[in-house]
Amino acid sequence: MTRSRSARRWVVTAVVAAAVLALLTRPGAAHGGTLRLSGSSPQVPFWLVSLTGGGVIGVSFLFAALVTDHDLIRDVAATGRRLGAIPASLTGLARAAGVAGFVVVVAVGLVGPSTPTANLAVLAIWVGWWAGFTALTYLAGNAWPAINPWRTLAALLPAGDRRVSPRAATAISVGGLLALVYLEVLSPLSEDPVLLVAAVLAYSLATLAGAVVVGDGWFERVDPISRVFRLYGRIAPIQRTGDGLRLSLPGAELTRPPATDPRPGERAGSAADPQPAGGSSRADGGTAAARSQDRGAWWARREGDATFVVALLWVTTFDGLVSTAAWETFARAAVGVGVPAHALYVAVLLVGFGVFLVGYRLACRLSRRTGNSYVSVPEIRVRFAPSLLPIAAGYHLAHYLDYLLSLLPSLAVVATDPLSPPASLPVLTLPGWFGGVGLLAIVAGHVLAVGVAHAVAFETFTGRLQPIRSQYPFIVVMVLYTMISLWLVSQPTVEPPFV
Amino acid sequence: MIHARAIHDRTDDRPAARPDGGETPPDAGGRGDRRWGAPSTAVPPGADPSRCPYCDRPFPSDRRRTLHLGDAHAAELTDEQAEAVAAVRDEEADDLFVYHLKVVAAIVLLLMGLAYVYAFVLS
Repeated sequence: MTRSRSARRWVVTAVVAAAVLALLTRPGAAHGGTLRLSGSSPQVPFWLVSLTGGGVIGVSFLFAALVTDHDLIRDVAATGRRLGAIPASLTGLARAAGVAGFVVVVAVGLVGPSTPTANLAVLAIWVGWWAGFTALTYLAGNAWPAINPWRTLAALLPAGDRRVSPRAATAISVGGLLALVYLEVLSPLSEDPVLLVAAVLAYSLATLAGAVVVGDGWFERVDPISRVFRLYGRIAPIQRTGDGLRLSLPGAELTRPPATDPRPGERAGSAADPQPAGGSSRADGGTAAARSQDRGAWWARREGDATFVVALLWVTTFDGLVSTAAWETFARAAVGVGVPAHALYVAVLLVGFGVFLVGYRLACRLSRRTGNSYVSVPEIRVRFAPSLLPIAAGYHLAHYLDYLLSLLPSLAVVATDPLSPPASLPVLTLPGWFGGVGLLAIVAGHVLAVGVAHAVAFETFTGRLQPIRSQYPFIVVMVLYTMISLWLVSQPTVEPPFV
Repeated sequence: MIHARAIHDRTDDRPAARPDGGETPPDAGGRGDRRWGAPSTAVPPGADPSRCPYCDRPFPSDRRRTLHLGDAHAAELTDEQAEAVAAVRDEEADDLFVYHLKVVAAIVLLLMGLAYVYAFVLS
């Protein structure tokens, strides 16, 4: 038994190595890296970069289709080791640092220099937190529940225990996410430190009020920022589990139901999920009804997560979309015929989200058809949604990495003397080939997504051929989306017009 | 076989309560082997599903159900069922072989196609 297991491990290693080699030696990967090299090397046109990206996704799906052993796929997803518990002192330190950071940001934003690039509040929020901390969350692990200053502050306030229905929680967090991105893109929040602090204080007020009414559940289920980090954190190799930290392959956690919100009934430790539907008389009606209600709420939270993941994917795309030259042309034309600029942005934000949601739901419906399966559509929606997260993360990294690296020295210098920073701040100038790193991040995110979807399909569908066939719609959607996002990232960045 | 009947064959879009977990027992701790378990199902109206004798999960064909028996209930099978599973798996292995030939052909075509496009664009 152990022998066949180790043999299997070797097969996994060989297949993975072959796939990686094939991807690395692909012409597209090499040329993506030389995209922005000026000089004698010939330029690769944008459409070919897009086509190559789509090709890489197609090839990685085809490679994945060669791996059809259920046990092997499970073994890969379950690889990992325990890292030990988190020391309580570290958690306390993170909480203190979070609150201190919050106070400093608010204070410096109000009394610090008014030049945005010299103000610690602006740099800390946009560079340190929204670009840097988010990247750290999906690349390493989610520390937000400990750092979250609002959660620490809310613990000092009286906590209510009002129930929020999962549907309302999803509506608030998706609406909040769209609103935050709208503010980020449209208002001069990154140029006016005082306005930024006002927005932070408004968010604080809303969040603390929510936490007072709902209790800690506000941060676990409703708060959009916590939800972003919780979901991004599930991609990371380091995961928090019931008995300390665990190191596993990136994305492996996405193939499983969430550890932080166990399915009702799991805690009881019984292997078989008790099924109240058969009219069994072992539980009294009240308990059975409560249990079924718990289970329904758990399921509704998973559906909420699926919707939120799609929203997250859309807002990262929207962020890139509005800073392309094509958008500028379109927006100017639309405003030229009398459409109010802000209404245009809001409309595109909402319509785009709708298009993404419909696209994903349609892919799930088609997946049931191409797999010729009786698995319910909501089940497919919930199980496959986490596989979209690496795509959003790859896109986030592509969008923010050069911004983060070039402004990090400024942040460090300003942090040492926030009230009177030096007049000239250091900025890291990135070499031309760096543009290719963003393209690789997008492709890597999609390849990881293909792997996750493959593992989920083998867990969900029967046999070895049906799980592969069920993935066709997702692969088509992913190939299209890769091509679009590669096109977006390879466009020169312009300031969004009319904002 | 005292398995309660799960609500599998609801035809509306909402999933029934989770089926009875016969396929992959959920794991109580936070270890790496947490599983989704058996999926909820929805049978299209008018269809005559073939049901698993152990967990009652519906399948569009007998062959699919037999594959499921091998995946999910390998320890409980009767000799007759075990034979059926072996036969169906054999058939599937043949199909999979042909499918994999197509996959390899698709990989070759895709890579060659891209290489040609590059050759033309960069020449």
